[in-house]
Amino acid sequence: MALPKRIIKETERLVADPAPGISAAPHEDNLRYFDVTIQGPDGSPFQNGVFKLELFLPEEYPMAPPKVRFLTKIYHPNIDKLGRICLDILKDKWSPALQIRTVLLSIQALLSSPNPDDPLAADVAKHYKEDEAAARQVSKEWTERYAT
Amino acid sequence: MKITVKRWHAIAQWQWDTGKTDDNGDAEEDVCGICRIPFEGCCPTCKVPGDDCPLIWGECSHVFHMHCLLKWIGTAASKQQCPMDRRPWGETIAHLSVHTPRNLDRISISSDRREKGRRE
Repeated sequence: MALPKRIIKETERLVADPAPGISAAPHEDNLRYFDVTIQGPDGSPFQNGVFKLELFLPEEYPMAPPKVRFLTKIYHPNIDKLGRICLDILKDKWSPALQIRTVLLSIQALLSSPNPDDPLAADVAKHYKEDEAAARQVSKEWTERYAT
Repeated sequence: MKITVKRWHAIAQWQWDTGKTDDNGDAEEDVCGICRIPFEGCCPTCKVPGDDCPLIWGECSHVFHMHCLLKWIGTAASKQQCPMDRRPWGETIAHLSVHTPRNLDRISISSDRREKGRRE
């Protein structure tokens, strides 16, 4: 099936006018599959890290959300061992008015503001709630070890 | 001097009156928020723009290609909410009434449809 115009336009803009700290490039042999990088936001334990993600646009997109997953290991209460992300707009709060760009900006924002009250990685969330300073230190170490 | 018009060639241009943009408006406002195709183009499933691929206005004032919006509302994930503000979707009938056409200079005919612009 031909690639919808919307996806072509989004891709062109992502490449020509990328959001700060974010890159996304489609695979040549599958234009619905993107290699993504997100820079860890300043002031977060992920600062100076570059995180790799994969993003896939399902056939139903934009009526269904993109599927996004971290490929780089990350110590974050809303991201599990498999890189799956707990973010409402990727699930029940999806809207077709959202785009690849807004999704990636939301993920970047999630790195700045972990939400241990809605955890996906239960152990990490527990750590964040019980001793945030120590948990942030682990996030920082993981960033240095895996994301640089 | 007397001039006789032997032949004339009229060119028509139409535009949906979304009530949002002026003629120099922001291009981003002129696209459907779902498919990102200009309102004057048709939705991705249609071949021809115009009355067969109309726009739909929500009570919340947001505008979409009707086909795009209905496709979204038809999904369970939509929860019957507007894609822009997540308020419960309700179609407004305000726009079905006669519009004051803008951009209407020289030649015009009245239209009771949701179009505006120069016409033959």
